[in-house]
Amino acid sequence: MTLFVLRRAGLLVVSLFLASLLVFALLRLLPGDVAATIGGIQATPEQLAVIRAGLGLDTSLVVQYGEWLAGVARGDFGRSQLNGTSVSAELAAKLQVTAPLIAGSVLVAVAVAVPFGTWAAVRHRGWAGGGISALAQVGIAVPALWLALVLVLVFSVTLRWLPAQGFPADRWAEPGAALESLVLPSIALGLTEGAVLLRFVRSAVLGVLHSDYLRTARAKGLTRSRALLRHGFRNAAVPVVSVLGLQLATLIVGTIVVERVFTLPGVGSMLVTDVGNRDLVKVQGEVFAVVAAVLLIGFAVDVVHRIVDPRLQEVR
Amino acid sequence: MRRLLPAALTAAALLLAACGTGGIPQSGTASQAATPPDDRLDTNATVDVRLVLEPTSLDIFGTSGTALDQVLLDNVYQGLVGVDTGAGDKIVPALASAWETSPDGLTYTFHLVRGATFHDGSPLTSADVVWSLQQQIAPGSKAVYGSSFTTVDTVSAPDPATVQVRLKQRDSFLLWNLTQRGGIVYRQGTDFATLDGAENGSGPFRLAQWNRGASITLARHENYWGAKPKVAKVVFHYIPEPNAANNAQLTGQTDIETAVDPTLLTAFDGNNAFSVLKGTTTDKFTLAFNGTQAPFTNPAVRHAIRQAINKQNVIRAYGAGTAIGSAVPPQDPWYEDLAAVDAYNPGNARKLLADAGFPNGLSLTLTVPAVYPAAISDVLVSDLKQAGITLTVQAVEFQTWLSKVFQQHDFQLSLVDHAEPRDLVNYTKPAYYFGYDAKQVQDWYAQARLAATDDERDALLKRVGRQITEDAATDWLLLVQTHTAVRAGVYGVPQNETSNRFSLSALAVAR
Repeated sequence: MTLFVLRRAGLLVVSLFLASLLVFALLRLLPGDVAATIGGIQATPEQLAVIRAGLGLDTSLVVQYGEWLAGVARGDFGRSQLNGTSVSAELAAKLQVTAPLIAGSVLVAVAVAVPFGTWAAVRHRGWAGGGISALAQVGIAVPALWLALVLVLVFSVTLRWLPAQGFPADRWAEPGAALESLVLPSIALGLTEGAVLLRFVRSAVLGVLHSDYLRTARAKGLTRSRALLRHGFRNAAVPVVSVLGLQLATLIVGTIVVERVFTLPGVGSMLVTDVGNRDLVKVQGEVFAVVAAVLLIGFAVDVVHRIVDPRLQEVR
Repeated sequence: MRRLLPAALTAAALLLAACGTGGIPQSGTASQAATPPDDRLDTNATVDVRLVLEPTSLDIFGTSGTALDQVLLDNVYQGLVGVDTGAGDKIVPALASAWETSPDGLTYTFHLVRGATFHDGSPLTSADVVWSLQQQIAPGSKAVYGSSFTTVDTVSAPDPATVQVRLKQRDSFLLWNLTQRGGIVYRQGTDFATLDGAENGSGPFRLAQWNRGASITLARHENYWGAKPKVAKVVFHYIPEPNAANNAQLTGQTDIETAVDPTLLTAFDGNNAFSVLKGTTTDKFTLAFNGTQAPFTNPAVRHAIRQAINKQNVIRAYGAGTAIGSAVPPQDPWYEDLAAVDAYNPGNARKLLADAGFPNGLSLTLTVPAVYPAAISDVLVSDLKQAGITLTVQAVEFQTWLSKVFQQHDFQLSLVDHAEPRDLVNYTKPAYYFGYDAKQVQDWYAQARLAATDDERDALLKRVGRQITEDAATDWLLLVQTHTAVRAGVYGVPQNETSNRFSLSALAVAR
């Protein structure tokens, strides 16, 4: 187990390094620079050169990359070229919106997927199972953007229950207001993901239902639901956790759309704005943080797998 | 042009969701209700305002962008003179209560208002004004509007309440330039690098909070030297998405929605809880030809393209606007309706092209920032098709437009919203991306700057406006009309040119 974790950790470090190189290089392929954003289009070429030099944009790419990487290794993601704010500090502030949004979406996704997926599996021959599967198919097809607009129309504009957009300026100073702002975005994001997850839960539970050990458990006198609860879920959880891990990555991407629609000041909207302004030091830090998060999730999923399913250890 | 980037994004952002159903909305009013007497106002009110584009930094000295002017000019910072956007852009007193010009036009004497202070309580004196203007003209200055003051020779302070500006030559544009950002009076010795976090202006509001990515809050400056604002706080919410902005306004999250998408105005139709104000802008959607490159070096090709485009189709696609036929909007004193020059005539366009050596038409590429509604490009493609021109639309990110089109002049046709007020100067710079080089226009413009009277200046600029359209220097598709949705019970809302200046001094809320 220890060897496994160490090997995976080594792989993680190598992946992070490659990711940093890729992020840095790809951003340099974009036309335009932050000096144009600062100077505007009346700035003369000489003025732009002065701004560029002031920002260290006239040094070689190797030097720029080295300085950035050294900073990241120390946990310092650098400063915005546009206004000098600390990237780490702003990332931390935006995560106060994005992290709860992702957590809320996972909650919605799991709350939808596990009970209904199990139900659909148990009743897979009845109309309920078929109905749920069909609904899930629809849920997968519906884009989060459209769902978000419908939710706003119903729950904000018509019923006036929840805010249509925005997030409290003082963030979590008023937890109630902050939570209210996240309800609709979490549902918009979570329902689509939940629909995907539901199908995996259904097939995992179905597989378990027809397994020998469940039959044995029932032969020993357990009801179907108790057998499922005691023996089935743990086994069904293995593939579901993998899928959930993968989905977390797509959720992070999904927040970009949802944050724009609901005007949430989170990591997603920040990223879009910063790319538009060519604030590359900031974008590098943000993209790298997101990539690192995805890689870390993958790492965590692998380890959790091992713990949930000890059989995996014997295989390798 | 210095304001082009943010304004262009603004105009684009408010059109992102334009669904292109066409039809010019008829809703809207020309004027708003009079503000009730003070005893019927809630002076503790907070007003929530929707704006489109957030500033990238609050350093108004060194960072370009109208988003900054919109929030900070008039409200947090002030200049010697200001602009009344409600009275046809009249130049009005601000920190200077009066001014006079010497007979030779070379000396401007400004008399400062009494008792003006900065937000930190220190008195605003002529020394601060002199210092601020010197920062604009200092060699190697990073001031984004510094180039407006090349005619200034010296600035001096004969006494604490008087400022004298000596010019090297007459400059009939000086007062106007002082109403803009370059005229802001900073406290002497201000470190511009710190402006992003800490302002020390002299305006009726002070910066209370900037919640990056979401909102900027201004609070009434209780010790303001002038008439005190009638509301306690104004929160600017940055909501780029037009549908989200409408929802925020309809659900009461905002009191004022600026730049309502003209195709989404029906949400406020017949709803007594809101009024919609129609306003002027200086947003000129400009179709630029790469004038230094074939086939645009041939004037016939430029005229053909202009005649092939039905401006009314473009206006319908956008939602609201007018055809002005040149780069001058009606609120400028030298405006002239030139929509008849190169009027829509696809048949003649074909003929012009054939005479110019393109009997079988030609293929062109249009580079346009992707933020503008695709409906506009669609109109251009179909209209030009009628004249035998096959148009390929290349939608790019704005930063890409900046480097490719604006800096490298690597384009054939370009479409951008030139939002800056009084920007005729662009047509006098041959190195500008239009590549338009007309000696006569340059001379008239230079003479206008030197003009002894406003009438003389206006007559010359009128000639410039006419000449650039007769030369087909560029084409002007439309001048945008802006709409502001206001919740009932909110008064004194700025109506015109709201993306350049958004003065809050008259804002009031009924109790």
